[in-house]
Amino acid sequence: MKTYLRYAFAALLAGLALVGCGQSQPPAAPPGADRPLTFGVSFETLQTEYWIAGMDAIKAELSRRNIKLLAAIADGDANRQYEQVRNFITRKVDGIILVPKDAKTCLPMIKAAHTAGIPIVLFNRPCDPIDGFTPVAVVADNVALTRETVASLVERAQVGGGRHRAMVILGDLGDVNAVGRRDGFEAALKGREAVVEVVARVPSEWNQEKAQAGVVNALQAHPDIDFIFTSSDFLLPSIVSALKAAGKYHRTGETGHVWLAGFDGDATAYRLLTEGYLDATGVQDVYFEARQTVEAVLDLRAGKSLPGTILDPGFVISQANLQERAPRMWGAQVKKAP
Amino acid sequence: MRRATTMPVFAPGWRPRWGSECLILAAGGVYFLAAAPFIPGLASWENLGNLLSNLLPLLVIAVGQTLVLIAGGIDLSATAIMAVTSVAGAMVMRGVPGHGPVAALAGVGVMLGMGTAVGWGNGFAITRLRLPAFMVTLTSMMFFSGLALWLTQSQKINGLPAAFNALGGNLAVELILTTAVVGLTAWGLGRLLAGRWLYAVGHNPRAALISGVPVGPVVMAAYAFSGGAAALGAVLLTGRGETGDPVLGRYLMLDVIGAAVLGGASFFGGRGGVGGTAAGVLFIKLVDNSLSLQGCSHFTIMMVKGGLILAAALADGGRRRLAGEDQGGRA
Repeated sequence: MKTYLRYAFAALLAGLALVGCGQSQPPAAPPGADRPLTFGVSFETLQTEYWIAGMDAIKAELSRRNIKLLAAIADGDANRQYEQVRNFITRKVDGIILVPKDAKTCLPMIKAAHTAGIPIVLFNRPCDPIDGFTPVAVVADNVALTRETVASLVERAQVGGGRHRAMVILGDLGDVNAVGRRDGFEAALKGREAVVEVVARVPSEWNQEKAQAGVVNALQAHPDIDFIFTSSDFLLPSIVSALKAAGKYHRTGETGHVWLAGFDGDATAYRLLTEGYLDATGVQDVYFEARQTVEAVLDLRAGKSLPGTILDPGFVISQANLQERAPRMWGAQVKKAP
Repeated sequence: MRRATTMPVFAPGWRPRWGSECLILAAGGVYFLAAAPFIPGLASWENLGNLLSNLLPLLVIAVGQTLVLIAGGIDLSATAIMAVTSVAGAMVMRGVPGHGPVAALAGVGVMLGMGTAVGWGNGFAITRLRLPAFMVTLTSMMFFSGLALWLTQSQKINGLPAAFNALGGNLAVELILTTAVVGLTAWGLGRLLAGRWLYAVGHNPRAALISGVPVGPVVMAAYAFSGGAAALGAVLLTGRGETGDPVLGRYLMLDVIGAAVLGGASFFGGRGGVGGTAAGVLFIKLVDNSLSLQGCSHFTIMMVKGGLILAAALADGGRRRLAGEDQGGRA
C-alpha cells in the first residue's frame, strides 16, 4: 500500500506543481506591438456549406489584413472546442473568433479568453449573457429575415386563393439561430391563419436524416401540405427527396407545386431557384459577417466599446429578383456540382 | 477487504517493468522531445497544465474501461452513461433550492449513484442473463443516449452551482479526485485479492470458476466500477462546461478504448493495468494537443492519431513477440 500511496502522492505533487507554474506565465505582448497579428478561429463544425463559406470568408478577410490564422474545428464536440480555445490562449493569439456549438457550452471558453485578456467575438451564433455581460456576436437578424422571407412566400401563395397547409422544419432549438427562425416563421403567419394553417412542425436538430424522416412522416400524415419552410437550406436535399417520393416535386406555376422557402442562401438554394423549384430564401451575407467579425476583434483589441450584437440584415432572394441579387448571394458564388 | 498474500500471477495494476506502458511512455517522450522545438508553446508550463487538465477526465473513464477489458468484456455504454448522468445531475442540482454546496453534493451523489447502477445493470445482464457484453452495452448505450435527449428535449442545462462547476473547472480539484480514484484502483488491482480475481476471470473464466472465484460478482463489480468512473468523468466535464449536456462524451469512446488498448489491455481479457492506461491516455492527449497547437485541422488530427495508435500497437506487438510474451487472449 505504501508504494502505491507514494506513486499517487508523487503524481499529485507533480500535478499541483504544474498548476502553480501555469499561473506564472509572462503576459501576452501588448496591443500595438510591432509584429504580425495571429487570430485563433474555432468552428464548431464545417458540415454545412454555410460554415465552409464562413470559414473561407474569414480566411480571406484575415489574409487581406495580413493577419495570421490558427484554425481549429471541434467536430460538434463542445469539450474539444474548450480545449482548442485554451490552446489558442497558450499560443498567445491576439484574438479569437468562435462559432460555438450552442449558447451555453461556450461560456467557460469566453470566460477563459477574458481572463487571459484576449478579445473574443462570436461568428453567426450568439451565446447567453455571462453575469450580465453579453459577449460580442455578429449574427444574422434571424427573426426579421425569416419573417420577411415567409411573408413574401405567403403573399405569392395567396394569389391563387384557397387555404394552404404548411410544414416548418425546425433546427436545433438549443441554437439561438434556430429559435429566431422559428419565431420569425410564427410571426409571419400570425394573423394570416385564414391563408396558411401550420399542420406539421418537424424537428431536425440540424440533422439531415432526422429531417428527411420527419418530412416523409408529415407528408404521409398530411398529404395536402403545399407550403414548406426550412430553417436552413442545407436541409433542402432531404425535403426534395421526400417531395419526389410523394410525387409533389413540381416547378413554380406547375400544377401541384409546393410553395417552398428556406434560409441561408447556399448553393443548393441557388440551383433550386434557377431551376424554379424553390420560391424564396433568406440570404445571410457571409462576407459582411466575416468582415464585421474581424473588425470587431480588432476594435476590442483597440479598447473600443461595442454592442453585444452586430446584426447582419441579410436579404430575401426569390425567382423574381434572382438576377439582380445573385451577385450578393454567397451560394451563387460557391461552385457546386449539381 | 482481503489482500493478496503474494504478487499477482497476472499483470499487476501498477508495477514498473518493460511492458506496454513503458513502450508507450517512451514513445510519448520521444514524440514530445522531437515535437517541442517545432511547436511553439508545447513545452510551456501553461500548456503542460492544459494537457494535464485535458487528460484527467479521459483517464478516469479509461481506467473504468480497463477493468472491464481485464475482465474480458467491453463497455460501449460509458459515453451514454456520461450523457445521462450529466443531465440527471444537472436537473437535480437545478431542483435543489439555494444552488449551493448541498445542491452540488446532491448532484454528484445522483450522478455517481446512477452511473454505478447502470454499470451494475450491464454486469447483471451479462452474467445472470448470459447476454453478450457487446450487445448489452450497445443496447444500453442506445437507450441511455436516447434517455438523455428525451429528458432534456435536446436542450442543455446551465445555471449549475458554483461549487459543482469548481469540480471540473479547477485543475487542483480535478487532479486530487483523479489521483485518488486512479491510485486506489491501481493499488486494488495490484494488491487486493479482488484484483487477482479480475485478472483470473478475464484470463479464463471457467478455470477461475472452478478455482472458487466468484466470477459473476467480479464481472458485475467491474461494470459497476466502469459506470461509476464514467459518471465521475461526467462530473469533471459537466463542471468544466458548466452545463448539463445530453450529448456529453459522444465522441470520446474511441479515445477511451484506444488509450486502454495502447496501454496493454487486451480485448480478450486478462491483460492490462492502470499504469498502461495512464500512459495510453497521456500519449493520445499529447498527440492531440501538439497537433492542435500546430493548427492542424480536426480531420488531420484524427488521421495522424489513428496512424500513431496503429504504429504503437504494431510496435507493442513486435516487442511482445521479441519478449516471448503470450499475444493475448483465449479463443
